[in-house]
Amino acid sequence: MISVVLTKIVREGQKVLLRIEDILNKILGSEQNVLYYHGAIPNFFMWMLFLSGLLLFAYYTCTLEAAYQSVEYITQKIPFGDMIRGIHRYAADAMMLAVWLHALRVYLTDRYREYRIIAWYSGVALTVMMLIIGISGYILVWDERSYIIVKMMSEFLGALPFVGETLSHAFINDNVISNYTMSMSFFLHAGISLSLLVMLWIHYMRISRPLVNVTWAIGCLLAGIVLVVSALFPATSGPEANFTVEPTYFDIDWFYLWIFPVMKAVGYPLTWLIVLPALVVVTILPSLIKSKDHEAANVNANKCVGCKLCSVDCPYEAIYMAPRNDGSKFKEIAIVIDERCAECGLCVGACNFDAIELPFNLSPVVMDDIRMALEEGAEPVAA
Amino acid sequence: MSETEKNIDNVKVMVIACARSVNLEGELSGLHGRNLSGVDNAYVVQVPCSGMIQPRMIESAFNSGADGVIAMGCQIGDCHFREGNKFCRERLLGVRPPMIKKTVPKNRLKGLWMSEVQVNDFKNRVENFKKEVVEELKLEVKKA
Ligand code: SF4
Ligand code: SF4
Repeated sequence: MISVVLTKIVREGQKVLLRIEDILNKILGSEQNVLYYHGAIPNFFMWMLFLSGLLLFAYYTCTLEAAYQSVEYITQKIPFGDMIRGIHRYAADAMMLAVWLHALRVYLTDRYREYRIIAWYSGVALTVMMLIIGISGYILVWDERSYIIVKMMSEFLGALPFVGETLSHAFINDNVISNYTMSMSFFLHAGISLSLLVMLWIHYMRISRPLVNVTWAIGCLLAGIVLVVSALFPATSGPEANFTVEPTYFDIDWFYLWIFPVMKAVGYPLTWLIVLPALVVVTILPSLIKSKDHEAANVNANKCVGCKLCSVDCPYEAIYMAPRNDGSKFKEIAIVIDERCAECGLCVGACNFDAIELPFNLSPVVMDDIRMALEEGAEPVAA
Repeated sequence: MSETEKNIDNVKVMVIACARSVNLEGELSGLHGRNLSGVDNAYVVQVPCSGMIQPRMIESAFNSGADGVIAMGCQIGDCHFREGNKFCRERLLGVRPPMIKKTVPKNRLKGLWMSEVQVNDFKNRVENFKKEVVEELKLEVKKA
């Protein structure tokens, strides 16, 4: 049941996307069609963030006493400091937005399950990592918003049964906010940012030649948008955090801080009860649609000459070349890793020796179909 | 039938199509569902991805009496299997192995890159392709 509904959603969504794609192709041409760079765009923003983050880091001081002032100094005194800060803030929003659109597209085009399962799981992990990076980043500014975030976050973590206690101490030592809170936040912010690269490597596993870079034109366009937004809406701090006053209101970055209004509205335990199941559902989404029977491509050892063409063309790194010692005059043979195979047939198209076949779509059958269609066609057929 | 008698009413076109590009559900008729409805003498055989189209499939279509062959995949840039249509296109252009034999009449071989929703456009193009093939055949006869 659920499988049928989901399949239907995917199919209809796909049609909508294809129409948009068609229009964009007519305007931009397929070379510059932003839709075709849905995975590369978040990447582009990530590099913008690394770069602007590095520049901010040069003047940032990570202590309770000096953090706020150092951010103000960067914003007001350093040439283009406000610009860099703005870029760092809005590129982060743009990255999150791009990630959601990327996820939506792979979901609607049905490119997220079976042989792409690793990309889906790692994608979910990447998104969670981004949230942590974002939230900890907002602590580093150390304005009133940072103060509320630290307070609410440690209470939120504390609300978890069993592990809550320990987790909340990760932020606040013995119930006092100290420099420890700052270095922890910095560690989360910068450390997890760097681990994004590791997770991305996992994200690209089993994908031959991943498309990770946007074109120059698209890059300039995206950078331009971020620049304009940062000029129009400069990123600013609230008043410096002050332990004696309980702040009541702060600006919310809806891309990263949405969880705080949720906590405020429904309380900590209920927030957990919403967030955790939601995360589980998103993670298992690929398993909710029944897969069709799987039969990987297979290689005919008698015909394979070890030319490597199939292993080069396979888009999912499902074929490797192994040395052979079965008395054949050829040195290598293609081996298919069954569970990676998408049954796409690219290897069949690449093989000039009829040595690799899809069991459900044998190329001799295709050839017969072609011949018969043309021969039958000579007779009149009923419409 | 000699080549000189070929005209728009009897040229045969074979479309080897990716099953994910133009949605041909309900558009195919004939004994084995290989005739394209609404376009005479146009036949369709589907494969999972245009990247699966071997040069030999194209050759065999010409050898079995096709006057023109279309290899069809999704719009370039969008391939469910990432690179299938790109590779197919490169083979048609002769820049990716395995190469298409020299004996294959390249001018009567065409790549079409269309999406699921472009059915009508697709049929028009097949119809137009038939005209191109007739013209091309005339030229070939003249040259011979
Ligand atoms: S069908 Fe061939 S090319 Fe496609 S994923 Fe499987 S082994 Fe790779
Ligand atoms: S393309 Fe064919 S002959 Fe070449 S390695 Fe692959 S299976 Fe073997």
